[in-house]
Amino acid sequence: MNIRWYHFALWAAFMAVMFALPEFVSRGTLRTVIFANFLAIFAISWDVLSGRTGYISFGHPFLIGIGAYTTAILTKRFDVAIEASIPIAVIVTMIAGFIVFLPALRIKGSYFALVTLAFMELMYQLVQVIRPDLTGGTRGISGIQGITRGAVNGYYLSLTLLLVVAVTVWLVMRTRVGTALSAIGMNEESVRGSGLDTTKLKLFAFLFSALIAGLGGAFYAHYVGAIAPRALFDINFLFTIIVAALIGGAATTAGPIIGAFFLTFLLEYLRPYLPGAERYFIYGGVALLLYMYQPKGIIALLETMKDRIIRRSST
Amino acid sequence: MLQIIIQGLLLSGLYALIAVGFTLIFSVGRVLNLAYGAYLMIGGYAFFFFSQQLGLPILLGVILAGVLGCLAGLLKYRLLVIPLKGDHVAIEISTLILAVVIQAGIVLLFGDSPKVLLPIVPGVTQIAGASVTFNILTATLVSWAILISLYLFIKKTHLGRAMQAVSMDKKGAAISGVNPDHINMLTWGISGTLGAVAGVFFASYTQLSPSMWVAPLIIAVAVVIVGGIGSIIGTLIVAHIIGFMEVIAVAEIAPELRGVFTMLLIIAVLIIRPQGLFGREEIQ
Repeated sequence: MNIRWYHFALWAAFMAVMFALPEFVSRGTLRTVIFANFLAIFAISWDVLSGRTGYISFGHPFLIGIGAYTTAILTKRFDVAIEASIPIAVIVTMIAGFIVFLPALRIKGSYFALVTLAFMELMYQLVQVIRPDLTGGTRGISGIQGITRGAVNGYYLSLTLLLVVAVTVWLVMRTRVGTALSAIGMNEESVRGSGLDTTKLKLFAFLFSALIAGLGGAFYAHYVGAIAPRALFDINFLFTIIVAALIGGAATTAGPIIGAFFLTFLLEYLRPYLPGAERYFIYGGVALLLYMYQPKGIIALLETMKDRIIRRSST
Repeated sequence: MLQIIIQGLLLSGLYALIAVGFTLIFSVGRVLNLAYGAYLMIGGYAFFFFSQQLGLPILLGVILAGVLGCLAGLLKYRLLVIPLKGDHVAIEISTLILAVVIQAGIVLLFGDSPKVLLPIVPGVTQIAGASVTFNILTATLVSWAILISLYLFIKKTHLGRAMQAVSMDKKGAAISGVNPDHINMLTWGISGTLGAVAGVFFASYTQLSPSMWVAPLIIAVAVVIVGGIGSIIGTLIVAHIIGFMEVIAVAEIAPELRGVFTMLLIIAVLIIRPQGLFGREEIQ
């Protein structure tokens, strides 16, 4: 646990800025920030599993979608209170996380990535077919009960959730368990060789990631109010989550947050100049170039910049 | 019953054609090319542009689509795979990003709305009570022709054997005087060409739309996983398993379930026999 005072100072500064934000920006910008917050939560969830342990999940929308669908079905079809439906959604998502974990016992690398992709596609097709009276079939579920009203309240809710998730992940990753998870990402055999139970560690990473995904997915469903299979179990959604985590900087806590904000605002700031389809072209292009230039993400770029400034001032 | 067999054979032929280019890259280059579906999209749209908008002859349209696909494959190898120095995860992620960029590019050039591609070979015939369009019949025949020539190319020619060598052991191949870089380049080119040609037929089977790259990618993934890497025959057999499974699911159970069994098969095979039904023992 090498926690220094400036870590707390940075967290405090970040929180202060974020909590003061509604005073300075418009409602429209606030709504954009809300989406960035949710994307950051999803990216952190992906990072806990894939960024740290190296088991690349191409099926993360599978987990998020299960969280979102569970709470939507419970509140909309069975009139369960939100206070009860969100915890249930999280538990169901963790069970789904356990299912995703099973193949990881035997396969890794590209094969594992593909099996998770298959999970996502399977879910996409099943949701439309099995009990359409519950899932709403192809059209999904709309009119999901909201938790709060208005942009400002929605903002504070999403921000609180993001901060709780981020700080928890940050603390957990600083324990020995977190170190061991990163070690699995580097070399699983040698972690096992040093007498650690990698199966248990992996299970922990999967369940922890699913917990965050379920939490994020459930709150997201209540925020947007409408979910549909093509919007959730979609390769473009997957793309945004993975790219947010990687462009920010995988295997760090700040990275996915930075990446999510960068992507959301890049898309938003391109809007006035490029109103049409060009926007997504430039957006993807920037993501690709940035990733090719520095696969470790923006956080690594910032670090090199910091080093350069320090070196310059010391000489 | 006969109808299912005919439908199954036709669909499987198309699937084999879609999957073979993907298998090739996975076997030789050892990377998952998640932008493989984009080749099909490039091929389909290129054919649409050349033969339907410019009015060029159909054969020329197919050839131009193939050339563009080949170019896309070569560029991808030069600009993505080489700079990333064989980092598998990085290549997978960057090809995924590239696919989304190409999708946006297609929207930019051709618009968001789906386009209907006129049949490449117009006409319908009756085989045993089932109506079969000449279009898909051609696709199946072309697919078989391509697969057989590819098989002969890989087994009989010097270049093909060099490809096999690189796929088995890169270092060993290099020691025997094969330049893995050239072979990889060649494989990416062939894979792009095959993808684009498959795209022409796939697009005429369904329709052209900017999100059409996902479905064939999933099919290719399924075939490669279940078949295992490094086996063209395996690809062919598994394409038939999956094709028939879909046709039977549509005819006997429910049309909405057509993809479900494929996904279950992928998951089951990956967990029980990760190297695939016909693949080599080694993994990674």
